[in-house]
Amino acid sequence: MANRCQFESSSEVGVFAQLTNAYCLVATGRSENFYSIFEAELAEHIPVIKTSVSGTRLVGRVTVGNRNGLLMPNSATDQELQHVRNSLPDEVVVQRIDERLSALGNCIACNDYVALAHPDIDRETEEIVADVLGVEVFRQSISNNVLVGSNCKFTNQGGLVHPQTSVEDLDELASLLQVPLVAGTVNRGSGVIGAGLLANDWSAFCGLDTTATELQVIESVFKLRDSQPSNIVNELRASLVESLA
Amino acid sequence: MPLYNFKTIKVVPTGKDFIDIVLSRTQRQTPTVVHNGWAITRIRSFYMRKVKYTQSNWHDKLSQILDDFPKVDDIHPFYADLLNVLYDKDHFKLALGQLNMARNLIGKVAQDYVRLLKYGDSLYRCKQLKRAALGRMCTIMKKQTASLAYLEQVRQHMSRLPSIDPNTRTLLVCGYPNVGKSSFMNKITRADVDVQPYAFTTKSLFIGHMDYKYLRWQVIDTPGILDRPLEERNTIEMQSVTALAHLRAAVLYIVDISEQCGYTIAQQAALFHSIKPLFASKPLLVVANKTDAASIEALSPEDQAILRELVVEAAKTSAGAGVVLDADALAREANLLKMSTLTEEGVMDVKQLACDRLLASRVEMKLQGKRVKDITNRIHVSQPQSRDGSGGKADPKSARPACIPTSVLAKRAAATSGAGPSQPAADAEETELQLQERLGGAGVYSADMRKRWQLSNPGWKYDIAPEIIEGHNIADFIDPDIEAKLADLEAEEDALAAAAAAEGIDMDLDDLTPEEMELLGQIKNRKRVLVASHRRRKSAANNHSVMPRGRDVDRIINTDQMKKSLDWMGYNTDKAVARVRSQSRTGRKRMRSEGPAGMDVDGAGDVVMEPPQKRIHSSKSRSMSRGRALSTSEPGAGKGIRDASQRNKAIKISDKAMRKRGKQARRGEGDRHIPDLKPKHLLTGKRGKGKTDRR
Repeated sequence: MANRCQFESSSEVGVFAQLTNAYCLVATGRSENFYSIFEAELAEHIPVIKTSVSGTRLVGRVTVGNRNGLLMPNSATDQELQHVRNSLPDEVVVQRIDERLSALGNCIACNDYVALAHPDIDRETEEIVADVLGVEVFRQSISNNVLVGSNCKFTNQGGLVHPQTSVEDLDELASLLQVPLVAGTVNRGSGVIGAGLLANDWSAFCGLDTTATELQVIESVFKLRDSQPSNIVNELRASLVESLA
Repeated sequence: MPLYNFKTIKVVPTGKDFIDIVLSRTQRQTPTVVHNGWAITRIRSFYMRKVKYTQSNWHDKLSQILDDFPKVDDIHPFYADLLNVLYDKDHFKLALGQLNMARNLIGKVAQDYVRLLKYGDSLYRCKQLKRAALGRMCTIMKKQTASLAYLEQVRQHMSRLPSIDPNTRTLLVCGYPNVGKSSFMNKITRADVDVQPYAFTTKSLFIGHMDYKYLRWQVIDTPGILDRPLEERNTIEMQSVTALAHLRAAVLYIVDISEQCGYTIAQQAALFHSIKPLFASKPLLVVANKTDAASIEALSPEDQAILRELVVEAAKTSAGAGVVLDADALAREANLLKMSTLTEEGVMDVKQLACDRLLASRVEMKLQGKRVKDITNRIHVSQPQSRDGSGGKADPKSARPACIPTSVLAKRAAATSGAGPSQPAADAEETELQLQERLGGAGVYSADMRKRWQLSNPGWKYDIAPEIIEGHNIADFIDPDIEAKLADLEAEEDALAAAAAAEGIDMDLDDLTPEEMELLGQIKNRKRVLVASHRRRKSAANNHSVMPRGRDVDRIINTDQMKKSLDWMGYNTDKAVARVRSQSRTGRKRMRSEGPAGMDVDGAGDVVMEPPQKRIHSSKSRSMSRGRALSTSEPGAGKGIRDASQRNKAIKISDKAMRKRGKQARRGEGDRHIPDLKPKHLLTGKRGKGKTDRR
């Protein structure tokens, strides 16, 4: 089920929250509106944690995680770490890492089995990511952009990547990640997928500006509400061509 | 978002208002006081300014009007034709052309009179010239009154035109008057068009919007058309014709089979044939309306044949639009589309079919274009290749199942089985938002961060845990083995205690000797006094004036004091007092002994003092104690000095030579020296415009 939402008039919801199959981090805001959207949708299944990271609200951009673990940047405070640890079940490992590229969410994209990382990331970090998150790590760039976390979003079911990725790159990435991929946009044509979209294996949240066609593509590729990626090629094709070309 | 927005055109004033606006602006914005005694050039420029200002004002206002109105030849042909139909293109162009002409004439007038003003030889003459100039400008504009009034009317009408985007997905509803076009429009959009049981209820184009297949579609309701030659058609009908001619839309030709509209089916078919050229290369659907009032089967065979013929014609036209009809569509095509806007029967089918047709034709066209290459990746799903050859999927180790919690699956199953998909559970926890609303709203409500903590004992949730103890961050000391380490420590302590018990060592106060007890009491007392006095000084006596040490009996430093304090501490003070300098000097000469023989204060001081390093530099300013570091390395070859000692000697000699000069503070070669403070070649002669110091 894909939802449209907004954090304090910003459609870049991926910046202010982090969603995985085992938990959801949400930034603290002035009101509970944003938090309650996630709470209503997810709280009965997984913990929805309201927190700041390093005193900022950019929770989604500075952390990275999956069902196995959560990585926080070096600048995260002890109190925040403690709060997140207390809120998470013991199976989820929370780890703070010393990485120069501290916007981990921008530099690393992952699902429960595989991760893409910024080519310049530390070797140590790479090992920690592999150990803590239990994933294979590949150093990659997407459509000539090294910020893989910003430019794509993938779950165990499928993934959406930056709209300027060529078909060959898409095929290569799909084989690497072992999930179906499609190039697309969120928030009325924004290519910054990671910032505009949050997804896990059974739900997704995207910015309020997202159009109906974009939403359908997201639902199809992430296999939400029983739709399949093949819908994009079949039912949605005409609408996509009509709205894009 | 509409491409054509005529709502922003500025109001066009009437001729009289226009003159008032411009003249009063000149009066307000230019100087008004002029005197006879002024120099004639000043008087001339005063009036010239008025003339020029008025002219530029006219120019700006007229340019604004000319720019605001659309150029008929530049805009989309649909709008160009619509403007022609509604306002008469020639009239429109003429009005704008006249304003342009007026603008040029005013420019010329201003130019002429400014030229004349140059020869004005008195204030009175200049003033008369200005009056004449402004008067002529106003006369020119007065002649444009009719054009201005016309343009204002056009503006008002244009601002009420529907904002139709000529390039987007459009359904166009057309047919004879009163066949149910507006009813259809009301059924599929929320436009709420006026529907009345008489002809020409709709007198202009109306637009509505709807969503289908995740896209936004516009529906245009046109006024009814009568079957007559083009020249005889009135403005209302011509709007329909314009829309039909220029919009690339799916056309729905609506036929009233009940003939309640007052036209027979044959007449309606005749109209269809006469406007057939307008349908060329557009997806076209013939729709039989009002099936509630009459059924097709009940029609006479002739009428049925006519309708069949219409359908075939429409299919042919659609085929020309690039719509490839598959077998299914052809089968549907063979049957006439039937709907009743009264009972809403068939309305949605008609809408969907029309939209599908148009979409198919548009997509077909776009796929032939160039831009489709840019979006191939958007309509392509990359399926993963199995990484380790054929067995990738079969191998359970490399299988990568989705991780969906069972609660989610259970909820989904309940929803699909229809057990009540969206009924909110009565015992559902209140969300934070509801809590916030209940407890004072945003900004007042403070959320409980610990509410959802998952601890082994829920009772610990609100325990107050220290974060910093004695300047140490507790988090720094937490490591995974802390429990084990703590257990180790405790075991060690137990072992030590057991050992001590075995040896009979007991660290209780009970078995201190009375002397020891008294000493302990003294120590404790002294400590208490120190703490109390420190506290007093820190708080109460914080702001008092400080007694100089020399005047303070308690703090003065002399032999008595030293003796007193050493005595108090229990030292033997004889030797220390004997060594005090004032005593040592009295009555005897300084001994020539080298070593610190007399330094031993109370036996503990067998410190070997280093002899002071011999000074090389003669400067007295340096403290003896500091002992300037001397270079011990050999001087380099070619300096004319043999070794380090000779070099040090040389330094000493040079220091000595400097001493006298230094005392007299004479100028040396190391001082800053300006040979000539005022060089003559820089300061004589005429000055130009430049600065005085760098010539």
